[in-house]
Amino acid sequence: MKDIADKSPFKVPENYFEEVNKKIIASTAEKVNETKPEGIYRRLKPFLAVAATVAVLILLSYTALKIFKPASITGKIPEISLQEFSDTYLNDIDILTLEEGASAIASFDGVYDVSDADIIDYLIVENIDLNDIYEIL
Amino acid sequence: MGFADQDKEIIELLRKDANRGFRLLVESYSKRLYWHIRRLVILHEDADDALQNTFINAWKKIGEFRNESALYTWLYTIATNESLTLINKRKRYSAVSIDEIGNYLANSVEGSTWFDGDEAQIKLQNAILQLPEKQRIVFNLRYFDEMPYEEMSKVLNTSEGALKASYHHAVKKIEEILGLI
Repeated sequence: MKDIADKSPFKVPENYFEEVNKKIIASTAEKVNETKPEGIYRRLKPFLAVAATVAVLILLSYTALKIFKPASITGKIPEISLQEFSDTYLNDIDILTLEEGASAIASFDGVYDVSDADIIDYLIVENIDLNDIYEIL
Repeated sequence: MGFADQDKEIIELLRKDANRGFRLLVESYSKRLYWHIRRLVILHEDADDALQNTFINAWKKIGEFRNESALYTWLYTIATNESLTLINKRKRYSAVSIDEIGNYLANSVEGSTWFDGDEAQIKLQNAILQLPEKQRIVFNLRYFDEMPYEEMSKVLNTSEGALKASYHHAVKKIEEILGLI
């Protein structure tokens, strides 16, 4: 069996080893050159990444608190005087319009003036028999 | 110059000038590692890929190399792993069974552009290809590279006793396949 294996059964392209050696040496030399010029950005890159992550987390936490925190949690309703309330919130309201509306509501007694004749006319138009009304009453 | 002396020279040069040291390492080992890889992956194109990856990985890990193991065994370990990675990739992506891979490799021996063996050599290679993967590596390292069991034990991380038994079984199987017994 040993005699068979004395010759390698495989072939390689001509000058393969010279070529592949050159290729390997060139590719590893490129990798050295790629790693050599380490600029300030490359050195700071990991720190910048951490800083950016922290900033994003803070921003997200703040936004989440603003959105989801219930009002009762704040515990305090800001106290303001009547004058401040009036100055702040009532400035933009047209007081005259408000007063007109209020007086209209106050003068309405709930029943308009309707005469008996009007009621009888209404019943006739609606074809309602007066006897039916008596029965119901 | 023996392997040990040559390794010593390469290591010293690597310390003084990494680029020159690595150049000497590539020139000293490319042929030996190529043939080791080629016998495992069979096709020249695959062997070419695995050889280049072996040296690129060796270059990346050169800082991790300790004198505890010989440069020679360290490089063979990387080359063996690269070959196995390539074989496994081929198994995964071609979606065929291990037996089919064996047949594919066996056919590749005869069909490969870069194969130039006579009939006896084709028979021997086909017989080797019928061995289980680990046994095939053991057989190749011992039979073709004549690697001592002590070194092989470091390359394959297996006890010498297990390697001897594995080689013995491999030889028996091949002789059976070749009809020598």
